[in-house]
Amino acid sequence: MGTLELNQPGKTVLMMGDEAIARGAIEAGVDFCASYPGTPATEIPESLARVADRFNIYAEWSTNEMVALEAATAASFAGLRALVAMKQNGVNVCSDFLMTVNLSGINGGLVLVAADDPSAISSSNEQDSRSYARYADLPLLEPADFQEAKDMTKWAFEVSEKLGLPCIIRSVTRLSHSRGNVKLGELPEKKRTAKFEGVYISGAFVAAQHAALHQKLEQAREEFETSRFNFYVGPGKAKFIIVTCGSGWLYSREAVAALGLEGKVGILKIGTTWPLPEKYIVDHLKNVTEILIVEEVDPFLEQNMKILLAEQSKTLGPIEVYGAKSGHLPAYGEMNQDKVAQALASIRGLKTRARDGKYVEKAKELLLSYIPIRMPTFCTGCPHRASLWAIKSALKLDGRDGFVTGDIGCYSIGAGPAGYYQLKTIHCMGGGIGLANGFGKLDRFGFNQPVIAVCGDSTFYHAAIPALINARVNNSNVLMVVLDNGGTAMTGFQPHPGSGCDACGRPAPTVEIENICKGIGVEVRVRDPFEISQAVQDIYDMLQENGPRVMVFRRRCFRIEAKEKLQKKYYVDQVKCIGDDCGCARFCSRVFNCPGIIWDQKAQRAKIDEVVCTGCGVCATLCPRGAIIVRGAAS
Amino acid sequence: MKAGKGSSDLEQEVLSQGLCTSCGACVNICPYIKVVKDKVAVIEPCGLTEGKCYDFCPRTLTDIAALDKSVFGKPRTDSSLGPYISIEMAQAKDSEVRCRAQYGGVVSALTKYALDTGEISNAVLTKPFDGAMMPASVLVEENSQVLECAGSNYIASATLARMNEATKQGKDSIGLVGIPCQVLALRKMQSSKHETGARGVKLVIGLFCTWALSYKGFSEFLRGKVDLSQVKRIDIPPPPANIMVVETAAGDIRFSLDEVRRFIKPTCNVCFDMTSEFADISVGMVEGVEDWNTLIVRTPKGKKFIEKAKKAGVINTKPLEQTRLDHLRGASFIKKKRAVDAIQKRTNDKKNLLYLRLSAQEKKKFL
Repeated sequence: MGTLELNQPGKTVLMMGDEAIARGAIEAGVDFCASYPGTPATEIPESLARVADRFNIYAEWSTNEMVALEAATAASFAGLRALVAMKQNGVNVCSDFLMTVNLSGINGGLVLVAADDPSAISSSNEQDSRSYARYADLPLLEPADFQEAKDMTKWAFEVSEKLGLPCIIRSVTRLSHSRGNVKLGELPEKKRTAKFEGVYISGAFVAAQHAALHQKLEQAREEFETSRFNFYVGPGKAKFIIVTCGSGWLYSREAVAALGLEGKVGILKIGTTWPLPEKYIVDHLKNVTEILIVEEVDPFLEQNMKILLAEQSKTLGPIEVYGAKSGHLPAYGEMNQDKVAQALASIRGLKTRARDGKYVEKAKELLLSYIPIRMPTFCTGCPHRASLWAIKSALKLDGRDGFVTGDIGCYSIGAGPAGYYQLKTIHCMGGGIGLANGFGKLDRFGFNQPVIAVCGDSTFYHAAIPALINARVNNSNVLMVVLDNGGTAMTGFQPHPGSGCDACGRPAPTVEIENICKGIGVEVRVRDPFEISQAVQDIYDMLQENGPRVMVFRRRCFRIEAKEKLQKKYYVDQVKCIGDDCGCARFCSRVFNCPGIIWDQKAQRAKIDEVVCTGCGVCATLCPRGAIIVRGAAS
Repeated sequence: MKAGKGSSDLEQEVLSQGLCTSCGACVNICPYIKVVKDKVAVIEPCGLTEGKCYDFCPRTLTDIAALDKSVFGKPRTDSSLGPYISIEMAQAKDSEVRCRAQYGGVVSALTKYALDTGEISNAVLTKPFDGAMMPASVLVEENSQVLECAGSNYIASATLARMNEATKQGKDSIGLVGIPCQVLALRKMQSSKHETGARGVKLVIGLFCTWALSYKGFSEFLRGKVDLSQVKRIDIPPPPANIMVVETAAGDIRFSLDEVRRFIKPTCNVCFDMTSEFADISVGMVEGVEDWNTLIVRTPKGKKFIEKAKKAGVINTKPLEQTRLDHLRGASFIKKKRAVDAIQKRTNDKKNLLYLRLSAQEKKKFL
């Protein structure tokens, strides 16, 4: 049994941040989870899908984040608790709905987890999603550690339900993807049934709704004033304090300790960052003359704090604020304890023991002296390599300076040497075909370069279809190449509408890309990119034609295949295996000697090491007792 | 010794100048150069400064006198028609062959005969239609496949690319039917210092050629008039008709040759060879005589083969009347002169004949 299902309140377990968020949702009795995969949020819905049957949760991979939020909102309207999780870009996708559901309000608790990716480690942009909370007048919580990730998520459902508003939780990569201690809470008994009542319309009396929304936000502020997620540590009457939130909390503590400033510098940690608990904060600023604000990416807290200080200037007097605006901390990239320590040291006139500014360059130089530079590349056997080679060849043969507009997926690295520098634009999901639409209509201005839009299969369903329809009705000269590798590969092979299975691994109907194209009325061909010379010829031929055309390069990601093979997991039935009584003399672990089979000392039986086993199954055919058994592919 | 040239030079001097004949000599000898339809491109720079691709190309430096020497062992005496032993009219005896072929069926008949007698064990031929309008070069190993390749083509396919592929697979004793640029490139390959499977080509039947059309331009033009998949045959009846006839399932379409001349490959304008001067035997039409071919025997090997074929009753021959010979010679001369003019227009320099190296004496005749 995994930690997600563990019914041992008070027990401390190690959890990934995303798992802690999922566990918090489970402890809140979440009923419905809809999401689109995106790093670093993916493991939240994945975790919930894994225990969906155990806790009677409906879990789905939606076609995109907008649909996910809409579907989850329906569950909320029907009185259920629902969660959507997405990476920062996903918030943009669903923002249109978000900017109206705030006005209509909701019923059952609805939590939107926005997992930001500072430094864009796995993203096409760096974005601070917290501004959406301020923009949409919605409550925002920022967990600072793993325990808070769980506890805040649970509380977010209560806040949401109480206010009748979606509640946003902001995570970041370092929280979502690292692991820490989490003390488990109780698993609830779920009793909700779904029933829709009432009216949820945004647009009937918008101004009045907007005014009511502002009132709800004031209510949220009241709620936040007493939240246990806001607290202060440090000397009683510190003149200098750090005000921080989210990941900044641990970085700040470490920096203060590293500089030996525990007795002088206090830390005011805010968990409810929108709306700010103003009274609570003001109470902690009575003796303060200087503040350093530590947060990750945008100066969101900093700006809101400055507004508060301006409003309270009569009470508080002048307070110096250090942070992004003052230049002490960057408003981009990941935060870390060194950056905070350096800021602190420079403000306080201290010598920092943190690493010097050139550390990274020096480390790089040292490493490069004996490690060759390795550019991002496709896996061995990756179909994208063949597809991009075919595209490159066809464009070169065509000779009209044709180019590729790129999109979001594994193939994005085709902008570099892995894809022979073919991709010339990359923006958001579906952005490639959208741009190609425009290029394809520039002929009257002397434009004669052919344009190829590449797009992954998952991206096709997510965001490319409206642009393809647009290309059709406006007869734009564009060749779209769908790089169909059979799943959402980059985020870990989640299924999509073409995959034939759902989030829980059950069979599902498929929506064929070529049928969508045919329905739209564009010419479509399906080819295997590994048949490379045919692929080149087809792309070349299609480049000679006008209007919208689609080539589907279809070949399964070999990692998906490998994963499916791995899913064929073997185990030793320790009842059927009778150990040394068998007479086989431990054939499997001793004679056949596969490292995937070990001898279980405790049970005195054979055992499969699931980490090492590749699922070849040969041992199962050799065991004289038939004790090595294949687990069902999906179970 | 002067350093050789490579694929980037080929790209710069030939491909980007519209001089590529799409003969295919540079294709399938490395992973970098590819052909689709009649379009050749260097996909990625290979990094070598010297390459076979450049040496083999019929549009890189070509010393006519040196080639005469290496192919025929002596200089040419006829500046218009190139080295030859005999010129006569010929016709396939087999009426089925004649019926399927464009003119006298001599090429098909001789190819079949060469395969039958083991003179060659495979032949690189060109199928007039492979899908939408584009001819395809094929390797034929059975004589029954030869007639599928009968008939004229007006778009060049990369015959030597197919030959390179075949020799890579170890084929030799190959017969090749090609147009003048292909035959020229083949001979450049055979006489080059580089290792090449082209030496496995044992019989070269050259075709007369005045020009080829670019696939892209011509197919776009035709697409406006007819469903390309319905095209069965394209024919240019002998002068003075000045028309092109496209036979389709839905009937024939005719239009003036003047309409298609704009799709002639620019490289054809600098072509110095109408009659495949470096072939073992050259075959073409006889102006005004529908069922017969002109047959030029050029090499001793060609002569021996034709004598055998005559004896075996594969072809009938008769003398080519002097007026017709004069006419042929005149046509070939005009093509050469126009080529030299076109080259000089390109280079804007009387001395610079691009790829063409002629002896001073020969040069004078065309200036």
